[in-house]
Amino acid sequence: MIANVKDKAVIVGIGNTTFSKDSGVSELSLAVQAVKAAIDDAGLKPSDIDGMATFTMDNNDEIEVARALGVGELTFYGRSHYGGGAATSCLHQATMAIATGMAETVVVYRALNGRSGHRFSGGVAGDITTADAIHWGWYMPYGLLTPASWVAMFTQRWMHNTGVSKDALFEVAHSTRVYGANNPAAFFYGRNFDRAEYDAARMIADPLQLFDCCQESDGGSAVIVTTPERARDLKQPGVSVLGVAQCAADNQEQMTSFYREEFAGIPEMETAAKNVYAMSGLSVDDIDAAVIYDAFSPIVLWQLEAWGFCGYGESGDFVKDGALRTDGRLPTNTHGGQLSEAYIHGVNGIVEATRLVRGTSVNQPAKTVNHALVTSGVGIPTGGAILGKMD
Amino acid sequence: MTTDEQKAIESEIYAFIGQEVYPPTPAADDINEAMIRQWAEIMGDNNPAYLDKDWAAKSIRGTTISPPAMMYVWGQEGFQVTKGRALNAMSNLVSVFDKHGYTGVLGTNVKQEYFKEVNPGDNVTIEMIIDNISERKTTGRGTGYFFETLSTFTDQRGEKVGTQRFKVLKFIPQEQPSAVATEDKLDVPTRIASPRGHDNKWWWEACDDGKVLIQRCKSCQTLRHPPRPMCGECQSMEWDSIESTLDGEILSHTEIHHPKIPGYQYPLVCAVIKLAEGTNFVANIIGCSPSEVHIGMKVKGVLEQVDEKTMLPQFYPA
Amino acid sequence: MKEYKTLTRAEVAVGDKLPNADIDITTGLVVCGALATRDFEPVHHSKAAAQAVGLPDVFMNILTSQGLMTRFATDWSGPDAVVKSVDLRLGAPNIPGMLMTVSGEVTALDKDSGLVDLAVTGENNIWGMHMQGTVQLTLPKES
Repeated sequence: MIANVKDKAVIVGIGNTTFSKDSGVSELSLAVQAVKAAIDDAGLKPSDIDGMATFTMDNNDEIEVARALGVGELTFYGRSHYGGGAATSCLHQATMAIATGMAETVVVYRALNGRSGHRFSGGVAGDITTADAIHWGWYMPYGLLTPASWVAMFTQRWMHNTGVSKDALFEVAHSTRVYGANNPAAFFYGRNFDRAEYDAARMIADPLQLFDCCQESDGGSAVIVTTPERARDLKQPGVSVLGVAQCAADNQEQMTSFYREEFAGIPEMETAAKNVYAMSGLSVDDIDAAVIYDAFSPIVLWQLEAWGFCGYGESGDFVKDGALRTDGRLPTNTHGGQLSEAYIHGVNGIVEATRLVRGTSVNQPAKTVNHALVTSGVGIPTGGAILGKMD
Repeated sequence: MTTDEQKAIESEIYAFIGQEVYPPTPAADDINEAMIRQWAEIMGDNNPAYLDKDWAAKSIRGTTISPPAMMYVWGQEGFQVTKGRALNAMSNLVSVFDKHGYTGVLGTNVKQEYFKEVNPGDNVTIEMIIDNISERKTTGRGTGYFFETLSTFTDQRGEKVGTQRFKVLKFIPQEQPSAVATEDKLDVPTRIASPRGHDNKWWWEACDDGKVLIQRCKSCQTLRHPPRPMCGECQSMEWDSIESTLDGEILSHTEIHHPKIPGYQYPLVCAVIKLAEGTNFVANIIGCSPSEVHIGMKVKGVLEQVDEKTMLPQFYPA
Repeated sequence: MKEYKTLTRAEVAVGDKLPNADIDITTGLVVCGALATRDFEPVHHSKAAAQAVGLPDVFMNILTSQGLMTRFATDWSGPDAVVKSVDLRLGAPNIPGMLMTVSGEVTALDKDSGLVDLAVTGENNIWGMHMQGTVQLTLPKES
C-alpha cells in the first residue's frame, strides 16, 4: 500500500533565531522566537497554527509554546522519538496530519540550549529547568501535588456552578463497582460496595474521597490495529476506528488549567468530541455504549456533557436516572472502569470498548452495540474515538 | 578501659544508689484549672473529665480531675533551669559520669503508674531518689550505664498518688555520634520549591523579597500569570510587572487530606484565587478552619516565611 | 450538654485496633508542649541549644509525648476510663516539620476488673519510632 500524501503538504515559511554558545534566554524563548519568525516569513498569524510537531527530546511543551505565542487551540501535536533522527520524522508527522485533515497548518520546531544548558556531552545528568518543571513549580510549594488535588479543584468549582451533588459522584463510583464485582479480572471482583462504605471512606482532597479515585495497578493492555483488508481475513470480527481526535484547548496547562475565564469545564474534550462526530458522520444519538476515562468519578460526568449526552450541569440527573447501567441509555465502563478494574492508563478501556462492539463484554448490554465511545484522560490535552462494526 | 578504671567509676557511681534527689517537696501551686487548660489545649485533649465541670458533676467521678500525665508537671522546677539546675544527687552523679568520659546522655524509658486520681485544689508532693544503676552495658550508642530515678507522688493527705520511673543512659559517645553519622537524615523537611529558570526566576526572587508581581506586556499592557516569555495577545516579548495588592476572591478550593507530605503543615487548603488585578493565582488559605473556606470568599494575601527555606504568599479571610 | 461515650469492657476485645491519629509536629507544639509541662530545658525551646547537642531543631520533650500517648488512649476509650499507667520507651526525636502517626491495639483485657492493656506506637515520617509502649486503663462495667 502506498500512502496517498503527494502534494498534500507544502512548506510555506522558515525561521531561525540567532545561533550562539550562550543564548542567555530560556529554551522556550528560543522556540517561540523561531516559530514567530517562520510565521512572519509565511505571512500568517499565530492563531492560524493548529498543529505542532517536534522531538520527544525537545523540552518545550507544545502547550507552553502555544500559550506564549497566543496560538489558541491546537488539534494536532505529534512527537517523534530518537534524537537527531527525528528531524525529518517531524515533517512526516506534519504531512500526515495535513493529508488526513487532522490539522491545517502545522509548525515543526526544535529549540535547545545545547551548550549553556544541558549539554549532550554531559550525558543524562544535572538539573534541567524545563517549561514543564517550571509549570509544576507554581503548585508544588503550596502542596497542590497530586492528581486527586488538581481534579478536586475543578470538581469543587464545577459542583458549585451546577449544583451537582455527591449523589452523582456516587452513582459513577457505584455503577462501575457493580460492573467490576461481576468481572473476574477486576480488582473489585466479588466485592460488595454501598453508599455507607463510600461515605465512610477517607477524604483524599475534598470533595474527593477514596472511592472517587481509581486503582493503582501493575499490568499491561494492548490492542492490535491493522487495515480493513487484512482485518477481513482474521479470526475476530473487525472493530473499526470511525473517528479519532485529540485536542489541547486555549490556555491549557497539564492538570492545572486554572487561568481560563471559566475553568470548570473541559473545552479540549468538547472540541475532540465535535471532531470525532464530524469524522465519523455520527451523532450522540448513535452511541450505544461507552468507556469513559475514569481516573476520578467526576471526570466521567464532565465527559458525558462534553460528548453531548446531556447539557452542562445536567450529567448528575443523567446518571441518577440509571443511564450508566446495563439497561440504561449509555452502559458505561462495563469492565468496571479504572475505578474498579485496573488503572492501565486507559488502554484497558480500548480493550473493553472493542469487546462491547464484538458483543463479548462480561457485562454485555442486551441491546446491540453498533457504536462504542472510548475516551482519554481529562484535565490534560485529551481526545477520544468512536469504534464500530467493520462493514 | 581497664578493669581498674571500671572499678574506679563503679565505686563512685554505685554509692549514689538510694540517695535522695529531691526530699519530699510540695508543689508551689495547687492543681489548678489554668494549667490544666493550657496543657489540654496544647495536647489537643478534649477529655471533659479535665475541664467540663457540668459534665464531670454528673459523671461517675462527680468532679473534674487532673490529667494523669500532668503528675510530674506540678512539681517542676520552673524557668530557672535555663540558668542551670541546683546541685543534688542526680547532678552530682551526672558530674561523676562526665568526669570519667561518659558524657553522652539519653532518656530511654519512662513509666508512670497512677494509684488515685487528683482534683483541682489538691497539692502534689514529689520525692525522688536514685533507685538503681545498671552494670556496665554496651549499647548501640556506646558503652555506659543506665541509672533510674524513682519519684513518688503524694497528695496533701499523705495518700500515694503515683510513681514515676525514669531511665537514663550515660555513655561514652562513639567516634561518630549518630547525629553526625546520619547528617543527611537530619535535614528538616521543607516545602518543595519551584525550579527557577529564565522565565520565572525574577518572580520567585521578588517573592523572596516579600512581593507578589504580575507580569505585564509592555506593548499592550495585558497582565499574565503564570509568567511566560511572549504575550499571547500581541506577541510582544517586552514586559514589565506590577505588584499585586493580594486582594482576591476564591474561585475554587480543596483541602489536601492524603497523602500528607513532609514539610507541609496540615490542615492544608489550596485555592484558585482571582486577584483584584484580574489574573488567577494558586496559593494556600490559612487563618480559618478549612470548613469555612468557600467559593466567593474574599481573601487577603500576606508574604510569609512558611519554613526555613520558603517565602510564600498565604491568604487569610479578608 | 455534650454527650461523651465511654467504651464498656463488654464492647472491647483483644486485637481491636484504635483509630490512628496523625499529629503534625510543629514548632508550636514542641515549644508550647514543653511550656505546658513546665519543662524549660533550653533544647525544647531554643533551636541553638538543640543544635548544640547535634539535632537540627528543637525537639519534643518526654512529658509532651506522654501527654499525647494518654490523649490517644482516652480519645478511644472515652472519659470515664481511668488511666492506671503509661509505660513508654523513647526512640527518635520529634522535630518540627515531621508528622507523627500514632497507632494502637488492645493487647490484654481482664473482663472482671475492666483493666485493658493498649500497645501504642508513635512513628514519625522521617526517623521512625518516636515512642512505643503500653497504656493501661480500666473501663467501666456499663455506660
